[in-house]
Amino acid sequence: MSVPARIINDMFSQKLSSAEGKEKLAEFGGTYIRDRLREVSFARKIVPPEQVTRADCQVSTMHDTLVKIVQLEPKSRAMAISFRGQPTARYIRAPRMEVAFFTITSEQFQKTEQELLAYDMPITKIIEENSVKDIQEVEDREWLIHTEAACQAMQYEANGNTYKELSASAIQAGNVVEFSIRKGELARAATTNDATVRPIQRPDFVNLFKMLDGRRLRAELALITEVDWDDVMQWTVEDFGDRLQSETAVDGYKYNTLLGRAYVRTVKTDILRPGNVYCFTKPEFFGRFFVLNNTKFYIDKVANLITFQAWEDIGMCIANVASVKKLELYSANANPNAGDQTYLSNFIPVEEDALGALNNRVDQGIRFPVVTQY
Amino acid sequence: MSTVQRINFELISDVIPIVRRDFQLADTTLVDPLNANVLIDGEWMIVNDSYKLVRATDITTPGAKALNGTKRVRSFPLFAERGRTDVQALRKAIILFGGWFEAETRIFDAAAKTSGAPETQYPAITYVGQPLQVATITLGTRSLSGLVGANVDEFTSNIPFIVGWVTRLPTNNGGKLRFRCEPCR
Repeated sequence: MSVPARIINDMFSQKLSSAEGKEKLAEFGGTYIRDRLREVSFARKIVPPEQVTRADCQVSTMHDTLVKIVQLEPKSRAMAISFRGQPTARYIRAPRMEVAFFTITSEQFQKTEQELLAYDMPITKIIEENSVKDIQEVEDREWLIHTEAACQAMQYEANGNTYKELSASAIQAGNVVEFSIRKGELARAATTNDATVRPIQRPDFVNLFKMLDGRRLRAELALITEVDWDDVMQWTVEDFGDRLQSETAVDGYKYNTLLGRAYVRTVKTDILRPGNVYCFTKPEFFGRFFVLNNTKFYIDKVANLITFQAWEDIGMCIANVASVKKLELYSANANPNAGDQTYLSNFIPVEEDALGALNNRVDQGIRFPVVTQY
Repeated sequence: MSTVQRINFELISDVIPIVRRDFQLADTTLVDPLNANVLIDGEWMIVNDSYKLVRATDITTPGAKALNGTKRVRSFPLFAERGRTDVQALRKAIILFGGWFEAETRIFDAAAKTSGAPETQYPAITYVGQPLQVATITLGTRSLSGLVGANVDEFTSNIPFIVGWVTRLPTNNGGKLRFRCEPCR
């Protein structure tokens, strides 16, 4: 039996009138949010989060923030020597890095209980879901910014510690080394540098994987937008073979791996912009994602004003910048540090406050048919 | 002269009513604690036309006032100590963006500046209730955006943008300037 949304809203505001009710609602909201967050963040699929506590972290004498120190594998090698020889020595050390923790929070939602009655939908539930979506989007955006920075850092190093434009014309002129970022087959052959996203080809995936496989690492997982994934459905019988082609034509691509590698698809095209495909190693070669405080849900009612807020405290790092590679399916430059920046905004995540832009235009009066209640 | 220390800005009034807002920094290198021009807590910032934070004044010009382009604008105190790791990770800094508060700061120059162009001059901080403005000051070897004095006499020309009022003089407060900040002048 479904309960009318208005009754849920009414019960919700009644619960908030008592301390016990507040506690129960906060508890419910907190549990619900944690589950949804794990399901939907693509960053968490690439690097599964690890719960840490205060005891795992370090503090500073200069301020009140926390870091967790991550240790990296020490360097070592073997050597062939004669019977009389001796090995070279190595005084052992291993690099370390700090992972900073920060908060990601929802907006502070506010509504008077009287106005809550005006909604037939369960707006309180929707607010909870929106909180999760907001937090998860910012989490993924931060993660992707670090991922892109890692790719650009390796490009910088491979190009003689200089930032170089990576575009079709730069590749054709032999001006740039594609070390951690490469253009797709169709993009690199383009006659103009533009923002058009070319369909992904089978060799694009293979060449992307080879960028990791050729450096004593193994490509394990690709991150791709649903838009670019749709182009995989355009692969021909030469790419898929007869059986898969038949299956794909009816049911789409149903397998968990493509060319032997796992993949994560995302609809968040305002964060991972179409035309960008990343490839990662296993997390143990790559980075860490720490959760210091799981999502907390604050809810309160002062007089007739109901206030909600959710937040989490996390830390993330890419310790091994060589463990991620990128494929660009457009011919224009996407290096923010060099070259033509004309199309850059098409390829990088949108600003944080632009996330979650509305598709509908109802508030602008654009809906059909236009009916005015009288 | 004041000196930059580990903690340079402390609230005296309640933090809850203050609107604390994180803004992306226009120059993200300023969060690196090893940067020679790293941002210090208690420095003053402005929000630029791209909705990003920049230091309120041109620190290469002693006495320069808080400007957005050529316009004198409202500036806001930085509420983040040097080297905070959350600030470094996010490339965002926190300012006290709205509401009134009372605070103590070490980022000020109590002496008068009477040399240089008129728009870079300011009077000494000498009395409780004196209005305060933001200007480029020098503390030791560092140039910072900090508080300096203003006088109502100046209001006829070279109008200062007042960000607060002195509530306790540094000579009577362990070297720290206590002031009250209002939402607008």
